[in-house]
Amino acid sequence: MIQAYLEGKREAQTQGVIVLAIIFGFAVLGAIIAFRTSFGWMPLGERANILRSDINALEFIVAVASLIYAMGCLRTAFGLRNREASSLRWSQWMYFITIMIGGAILLSVIIPVGLKFSLLLGQEADLRIIIENDIGGLAPLALSTGEALISISLLVAAFVALVALLVFLIPQLESLRETEGIRLIVAPPQRFVLAIITVLAVGVIFVLIAGAAVVPLYPGTTTIRDAENHRLAAGLLFFLPGLFGYRLVRQVEEQSDELRRALALTPGKFIRSELAKSPSAGAIIGFIAIFMAFTMATDLFLEPSSVASFLSNVATKGVIAIGVTYLMISGEFDLSVGSILGVTALSFMNFMTHGAPIFGVMEPVPAAMLAIFMAFVLGAINGVILISTRIPSFIVTLGTMLAFRAITLVAIAGGRILRYSDHHEALPVIGISNIVFLALAIIGLLIVAYTAYRVLPALYRGATHAWSIHTNNGDFGTTGAIARTALLLLVVLILAAIVVWLVAVLSYHGNAGGGEIVEVGYFDLFNGRVLSIGSEDDFLHVQIPRNANVRLAIVWWFIFVIIFHVILTNTSFGNSIFATGGNEGAARAQGVNVDRVKLQNFVIVAVLTGIAAIYETARNPGVDPLKGTGWELEVIAMTVIGGALLTGGYGSVVGSLLGALIFGMLQTGLVLVGIESRLFSGTIGVIIIAAVVLNTLVRGARQN
Amino acid sequence: MQYEQQNSDALVDMIDIHKHFGSVQVLRGVDFHVDRQEIVGLLGDNGAGKSTLIKVLTGFHSLTRGQIYFDGEAVNIYSPHDARELGIETVHQDLALVPLMSIARNFWLGQEPTYEVGPFRFLDKKMMARESISALADVGIHIRDSEETVGTMSGGERQSIAIGRAVYFGKKLLILDEPTSALSVGETQKVLDYTIAAKEKGMSVIFITHNIRHVYEVADRFTIIERGHKLGDFYKSEVTENEVADMIVTGQIPERLRLYDEEGGEPI
Repeated sequence: MIQAYLEGKREAQTQGVIVLAIIFGFAVLGAIIAFRTSFGWMPLGERANILRSDINALEFIVAVASLIYAMGCLRTAFGLRNREASSLRWSQWMYFITIMIGGAILLSVIIPVGLKFSLLLGQEADLRIIIENDIGGLAPLALSTGEALISISLLVAAFVALVALLVFLIPQLESLRETEGIRLIVAPPQRFVLAIITVLAVGVIFVLIAGAAVVPLYPGTTTIRDAENHRLAAGLLFFLPGLFGYRLVRQVEEQSDELRRALALTPGKFIRSELAKSPSAGAIIGFIAIFMAFTMATDLFLEPSSVASFLSNVATKGVIAIGVTYLMISGEFDLSVGSILGVTALSFMNFMTHGAPIFGVMEPVPAAMLAIFMAFVLGAINGVILISTRIPSFIVTLGTMLAFRAITLVAIAGGRILRYSDHHEALPVIGISNIVFLALAIIGLLIVAYTAYRVLPALYRGATHAWSIHTNNGDFGTTGAIARTALLLLVVLILAAIVVWLVAVLSYHGNAGGGEIVEVGYFDLFNGRVLSIGSEDDFLHVQIPRNANVRLAIVWWFIFVIIFHVILTNTSFGNSIFATGGNEGAARAQGVNVDRVKLQNFVIVAVLTGIAAIYETARNPGVDPLKGTGWELEVIAMTVIGGALLTGGYGSVVGSLLGALIFGMLQTGLVLVGIESRLFSGTIGVIIIAAVVLNTLVRGARQN
Repeated sequence: MQYEQQNSDALVDMIDIHKHFGSVQVLRGVDFHVDRQEIVGLLGDNGAGKSTLIKVLTGFHSLTRGQIYFDGEAVNIYSPHDARELGIETVHQDLALVPLMSIARNFWLGQEPTYEVGPFRFLDKKMMARESISALADVGIHIRDSEETVGTMSGGERQSIAIGRAVYFGKKLLILDEPTSALSVGETQKVLDYTIAAKEKGMSVIFITHNIRHVYEVADRFTIIERGHKLGDFYKSEVTENEVADMIVTGQIPERLRLYDEEGGEPI
């Protein structure tokens, strides 16, 4: 339709004007928001704004973003008025973004209301009576109707499942399968399923309506943000017209013409196809959804202390998850990581307190190396048993899980805890020569230089090419060129900032002269608390809040993720891992040494587990015999959420990172919104299944 | 036991090959040779031992007894990697490609091109994409995107890619194990074209099948395996398509041919 308008056809005049008017309205709206927030007339976050000049970081971001948004809308309206061909693509994207904005604002009302109402229903025994008696209007009606609808739809679903189960399980009933009525239940048509889901959704909406009436009566009883009804109006103001407009501009007649095909790739399709390219699509969607849900539900979630605590909690498990991902991609499985962690932690501590056979009582660094070597040996045992006996890795590692656990149980009798402080008076300290820092800075500079050499030319070519494309080819024209140039400048700026910082480090340590010794706690090096980045008068200085528990292991984790991601995707070893899990016979036929790949992966898992054990003991210098129990399944859960296939051949290290982050966010977030932390394992269970279903769906979309 | 090479100028000469799996004797003294730039049809009914013979040659199975000469030298092939080093490329019936990996990655699997950065070696992805597309185009397979996963392609397309890869990397010998069993008529014709292309490149080809119709057109010679024994070698000029088909089914050499064939199988 809009296509016809752009071609100047008379009958499409009305639609074109409508689309133009709506988008112009959004431009005005965006401009108003930008104006009001930037002058302090629209306070955001937990504060009542008094001074016009006093705007916080959030308000600043909102002001800038809505200004850009307003400019985009204005540009679109201008293009539509002048009937530029590219304005169709513009309007598709602007309407899509508008829907997203509106949806996010709506969700930021719905999620807190739903959460808080269900919490209140759980906590306040007489809440139901209060609703029945004291609140007039729709609320009691909505609650009872909603509950009835939810129950009915769940009952119907359960009945369908039961009948299907019976018909399939009992041989005598098999003949019933073909009966008209039964077939409707056993293999329900899509309409039927949709109907049940619709009824369920209507029920949920009714309960939400009741919640919206009740929740304001209980301000401040939970950490969940209170309902703000003006947000609902704002959300609808964006969402509904946005949806209407998007429907109008989405339809494009597909023709062989290059331009038409580019236009037919609507934002929705574009994002879906981009997601389908990633093995961890489920994890990406889940990460965004969970992150937004917690951020909207409570202001506490984005506090530095919460973010630091969930990152610190999962960093060590995340390191293990990297290895488990490798192993899972190559088609194997490791249940023994928890026990390996226990043995390594125990050996590390034991070497420092009681001493190793030949070396005696050891300093932390050699002790850590020897302990990691122990882990290496345990991993090699797993691998050698697997490739020499050819029994499934599930069985092998189930056996070694129990066997390795016995080591710690025997070594530390009677449930004691082996503590560093029982044997040494002070925590160990190491003097590091500043030459080490100089060397690190130089290595950093080299890495920056190499990155610039690899990345900048391509970005530069992209930007110059974008300038040469004519505006009216359906692409974003000049704006795309501006965006690409801005990206280029941004990357240059970031690299330059890193260079300046590294040079500052170089000159600082260089001026001090070679050989100056800086004292660092040994354990701090492994997994210390980070209090600030740079000292007070440094060029780059970040002070970390006192209550934020930022651990060095987080940094190590991210470094490991980058290294192992590159190995997996950019080396022939990574290629053989994928091939080994994807089709072992084909890999072998192409000359891949499948057994060696598997052995290497078992060793990688074990060594990463050993490193994680060092982090754990450095954070809390004490080891109990059950350390690491149950970690193996948690780590596998992270990996599976991250998109790795249990059958092998598919997965990514970045996925394991996302899986671990989802894990950590849930652990911290559920406590923050006041939900029983005992529900954590239940939630994780649901998330695992949902993530895997999502991954499968997206992969299916890719196959078609 | 010592073995002498019988056909001194043959590319491959396998002498008195025995292969036992436990008490099951799959191969009982098979002699098999391939000359240079020759297409040999290796024929036999299901379970006759064709695939086992080939898996011995490509290092999948170790042989129980016997000797393999390759390019005039006695060789021991312990793994598929060894076979590849010798210049033998194989397209297996079921073990061709990894479905979840992209075309480029499948194409280069096991011998990826790399570039070095200091002590590290990284995949040369650009070269992998470029070369795989052009190499496949050389044998008449046109693909759009080398990043597409193999799992999304049809059986014929997969087989084409596997054969294209084998022709590209193959130096001396190309082995095709039942390449046409799952293909349509048009796709089968394409495979036969690739086979001839490989021969013109100077390679020898072993074409394994139980369907004579697919191979009669291109093969120079037929070797028929029957229950672990070799029934005989027959040049195309000597036999008709129907005679070969009969031999596969009945396991007996027709009266007429016994005179011509010196090596002949033992008359049963």
